[in-house]
Amino acid sequence: MKRTLPLAICLVIGVSMVIQFFIPHPVSLRYNSTILTWVIILTAFALILAIGNVFVHHGNRIIKQQPGWFYSAVTIVSMVIVAIIGLFWGIGGQSLFQKIYLNILSPLAATMFALLAYYMASAAYRAFKARSIESFMLLAAAFIVMIGFMPFGQYIHPRLPEFAEWIMQVPNMASKRGIQIGIAFGAIATALKIILGIERSWLGGKD
Amino acid sequence: MKWHERLTGIDRRIIYGLLTIFIIVPFFIPLKLRENIMPQTKKLFDFMESIPPHEKAVIISFDYTPSTYPECHPMAVGLLRQCFKRKIPVVGMSFDPQGPGMAVDAIDYVVAEINRAAASPGDSVRYGIDYVYLGYKAGFEAAILEMGENIASVFPRDHLGTPVESLPLMARTKNYKDIAIALIITAAAYPDWWVLYAQSRYGVKVGAGLTAVMAAEFYPYLQTGQFTGMLSGMKGAAEYEELMLRHNYTRELGKAERGMNSQSMIHILIIAFIIIGNIGYFLSRKKK
Amino acid sequence: MYLVCLSLITIAPVTDVQAADKPNDAGSNIDITWILSPDDAFIEYYSVLRRSSQDTVEQYIGRTKYGICTFEDNTAQDNTVYTYVVATVSGSEIARSKPSNPCRSYPQVFHSGRINVLICILIFSALVLYFVRRARHDKNLFIRKIAGLAAVEDAIGRATEMGKPILYVPGLWDIDSTATIASMNILGEIAKKIARYDTPLIVTNRWSVTYTISKEIVKEAFISQGHPDKFKNDYIRYLTEDQFGFAAAVNGIMIREKPAANFFIGYFWAESLILAETGAMTGAIQIAGTDAVNQLPFFVTACDYTLLGEELYAASAYLSREPLLLGALKAQDFGKVLALAMLVAITILAFFGLHLSSVMTVR
Repeated sequence: MKRTLPLAICLVIGVSMVIQFFIPHPVSLRYNSTILTWVIILTAFALILAIGNVFVHHGNRIIKQQPGWFYSAVTIVSMVIVAIIGLFWGIGGQSLFQKIYLNILSPLAATMFALLAYYMASAAYRAFKARSIESFMLLAAAFIVMIGFMPFGQYIHPRLPEFAEWIMQVPNMASKRGIQIGIAFGAIATALKIILGIERSWLGGKD
Repeated sequence: MKWHERLTGIDRRIIYGLLTIFIIVPFFIPLKLRENIMPQTKKLFDFMESIPPHEKAVIISFDYTPSTYPECHPMAVGLLRQCFKRKIPVVGMSFDPQGPGMAVDAIDYVVAEINRAAASPGDSVRYGIDYVYLGYKAGFEAAILEMGENIASVFPRDHLGTPVESLPLMARTKNYKDIAIALIITAAAYPDWWVLYAQSRYGVKVGAGLTAVMAAEFYPYLQTGQFTGMLSGMKGAAEYEELMLRHNYTRELGKAERGMNSQSMIHILIIAFIIIGNIGYFLSRKKK
Repeated sequence: MYLVCLSLITIAPVTDVQAADKPNDAGSNIDITWILSPDDAFIEYYSVLRRSSQDTVEQYIGRTKYGICTFEDNTAQDNTVYTYVVATVSGSEIARSKPSNPCRSYPQVFHSGRINVLICILIFSALVLYFVRRARHDKNLFIRKIAGLAAVEDAIGRATEMGKPILYVPGLWDIDSTATIASMNILGEIAKKIARYDTPLIVTNRWSVTYTISKEIVKEAFISQGHPDKFKNDYIRYLTEDQFGFAAAVNGIMIREKPAANFFIGYFWAESLILAETGAMTGAIQIAGTDAVNQLPFFVTACDYTLLGEELYAASAYLSREPLLLGALKAQDFGKVLALAMLVAITILAFFGLHLSSVMTVR
């Protein structure tokens, strides 16, 4: 029953939503609208589940004094404080919540993202070697696109930006379309397996 | 270690040090290079120019996070500025939990700028009449679909808790039929869902402002006409700022245009390192 | 003479006003079409008027600009019969058309514009069911070698020899993503191999639901190999939901615990290069697999082996050799062959002037 009920719900809802796509009747649209409203509500509940999980996970680490428990305490305390500030003092443009967001969270996230520039430089230097014809073509295309999209690319040759755009719009798009068609088929097959109950890993473990 | 082997083994710290210098220096010695405008940027700008004022609203979905601030935030500011100056109503929303922080920052900045320069009350921008920010909603797929029938059923209250029916703009903006275009500013794949649900079912036009990495994935949508224009990364943001400058929406260079100076220098540095690495690699192979 | 001529000029009305129920909709919509007035260049607009059998007067329902010969009435009541009149307006002159045919709107039960999608779904489903059935009887369905998956055994062996843990990151999307589900399958297979060798495992999760599921999958894998005692709760870790917080936490694990093998299997975003490059710096062997097309270049650059796009979906079938999964994989490939054949055929026909691209359009 523990596994049969979720599989049955998945089958019924999955098949009905596929059938719904082909029926433009108002009854079908109302059904679709109701299911979508449920999805929004369920997603909101998932947030509550996530918050609960953070408390349980980090709470256990603090209680058992596991290595790094201090950081778990920082996590819980900062989460609670920011939530209280947002709930009681508002989240508008001039609020303390917004100031914390812009002056603490934003720079931290931007710093992590900025690491990408450094990692890209070291990865490119380490890995971009013209070991074969294919890697040489990769390098050549990368150089043309990088230089073509820079402001002074147009001063090197007036048609360089156009050529760079052609590389993005023709070979790049052709290869992406091919990969995306393959991914689409894979995703359809996986979704079909889930709806029909062939794929059950999302339930956790095996029968 | 032979000199050609040193070329393939440059310490990471030297690479990172040079990178830091090349990023910082252009902020103090700006290069006055004007952007070459890409067709997709021009297409979006021209469409925004063609929207009649005071009629259909524009949806701007702020779905980017602080990590992509340098690329996405100038796009948001540029689009908001153009809408407010042309008196095109704006309906803002977010489907990323970190989006509201960015949205409030962008909207407050542009509104303050316009209201400071307003010569009369008619020139100023008023909440509820010229723009509304509906806040964050979880379950973006369902929300995007449902808005085709009724936006208020997805967002019954705005970001600050005000009932949406009490806002004059939302009283006349019921669903996608009252929307000129949906603009999605993001570093994720949200535009996929907008095209799949909002456009294919309800026919609403879609435009996007994306990070450079994501933009490459969405070129097919440009070619098929499913996107009415696209801004790609900081370059796209800089191009839009350039267009805003040319059309007198602003009098000075924006953040993206200044950031492009650093980006151009870093590109040169990376190309140089790749060439050095390859020279070292070929010479080492030859010696062996 | 000139003034006499002017006073005789009157605008001509539109002709042939036709009303029809809008197809493939939920009702309440009627499409009205007409032939433009010969004086279209001189008029201001066309006014559309509607009358039902119960109305005594006509009701104005909207207007269109000159040059436009269609209008959609989306306020019709279903099963009420209406007739329409289109009035040509130029200044104070109005020329009315003859009434249209009577028409009523009603909702459709089947969207005939999507019949191509239905046929494709039926064909693909039939292929999946056929090959799944066939795979139950024929256990030797061929799958070509996938380098990244062939290297899994080597990676686990390397970690065991070095006495270092294996790191598995199942992507940054929640369990509702097909890539995460594929990743969970691969985790199960890798966990079975690890259970035999007694190698430490670290599985880092961004979401609480994937944390719960990966814990059950790994536990089940250890039980199935007869080593339930070797499973430790610490193998499975829930870190944070913040994207870059998660990346920072995984980086910290890689630098502190120095795993010998890293698996990045699932859906990734910008943190992909941060994770892969940090792993490369620690000297671990790295196998990545994602269907996030724009992250593939970063994984290809920084990892030793990369599963491209749908190879991720093939991986669980490849590793487990389960008939159901092999059958579905075969069906995928056949589906692609059919799609390719259709694309080629439509392209060739287009050269001969036969344009069938609308066959592939979803309405």
